[in-house]
Amino acid sequence: MRAEVLKGHLDALILAVIADGPMHGYAIIEALKRRSGGSLSLPEGTVYPALHRLEGAGLLSSTWSTGEGRRRRVYELTRRGRRELGVRRSEWRDFVNVVEAVLA
Amino acid sequence: MSSVYLLELRRQLTALGVTGSLRGRIVDEIADHLECDPDADLGDPALLARQFADELGSARARTAALAAFAALVVAGLVFSAAVLLAPNGVLRAVQSAGPVVRRTGPPGWAMIPAALEVFLTQIALAAGVLAALRWFWRRGSVILPAAEAGVLVRRAVVGVVAGIGCMICLALVAVAGRAQFGSGWTAFTIGAAGLGLVALLASLPSLVSAIRLRPVADGDAGDVIDDLGPLAPDALRGRPWRFALLVAATIAVLLTVVSVPADDAFDGAARGIFDGLACLVGFGLLGPFLGLWSPRRLDGGDDAPGRSIAG
Repeated sequence: MRAEVLKGHLDALILAVIADGPMHGYAIIEALKRRSGGSLSLPEGTVYPALHRLEGAGLLSSTWSTGEGRRRRVYELTRRGRRELGVRRSEWRDFVNVVEAVLA
Repeated sequence: MSSVYLLELRRQLTALGVTGSLRGRIVDEIADHLECDPDADLGDPALLARQFADELGSARARTAALAAFAALVVAGLVFSAAVLLAPNGVLRAVQSAGPVVRRTGPPGWAMIPAALEVFLTQIALAAGVLAALRWFWRRGSVILPAAEAGVLVRRAVVGVVAGIGCMICLALVAVAGRAQFGSGWTAFTIGAAGLGLVALLASLPSLVSAIRLRPVADGDAGDVIDDLGPLAPDALRGRPWRFALLVAATIAVLLTVVSVPADDAFDGAARGIFDGLACLVGFGLLGPFLGLWSPRRLDGGDDAPGRSIAG
């Protein structure tokens, strides 16, 4: 799947992945690849600005954690982020239903 | 390889105004990513730095606009309270930029803050409202054109600086009018001005944070018609000067009409024409800086100053 197709949905995808539990950047990108069956192909770097932006919007929070001898920034969903994910899921289902009804 | 990538990313971030702890955090996160996967496809470091600057710059510009507007609302409320609670005469003194203050006793220097206050209040109001309008219409955009982010920040800065000046002038007017208007009102007004000042100063960190970043996304800054969003009539689209003429004419007519009940229609009309012209001059001078009109846009349109008047 091309990066342009994902542009409008990247935030929701990130929120959905982090809803599973706190994760650092690399793990988030790996989870995106794994859960999409390898179909999501976007430059991995694009995820980091989005993480910073989502944190700035209050949808994510982050802290440094130290493990395996290295410092990592770990992200988790805030209460507001969880609410936003619910809204995005609902909007997506409505969108899919409408498009499906037209295309089918 | 990864150290070369990180060095270049650091250099690019610095060039775009991403410095200090934010730059350190980004580089540390990317370094961790490259340790996990040395062959990771992180993209060109210049493009990655641009994306950070564009996304964070857009978000910070919007935050600055909103923070400035919120602070100006507080300042506007305390200013209104001070004027409404004022003994008879102060309101007129402020409105007429000094003559009443001078005639009824306060020192002559009070004319300067009184006159400045009238001027700064209008600048702060216009800049704050314009910042809030653009924020509202563009609140959902992930990336704003750099020119538009710059307009948002400049509106916020102009609004806050004018607001700070206004609060200082309000306090000076209160001090100057103490003997005339009573120490109770003076104390209240100085306290109110202090509160407004604190609110405005509290918005400064978000302004500084937005000014530091230098987003680079292509695109137009828009004009005053974009501030109206979908509410803008089609006849005005791409014609900001036509809109300015409409606003100036409305101001002139309104001031004339409201002065009729006071049997002061001639003075009202003169003041209306003066204020309308002042509005046009302000639009012309501050317009490009505050994103109200763009000389580049006008080059391709039919709305240059004078041209629209001629039709």
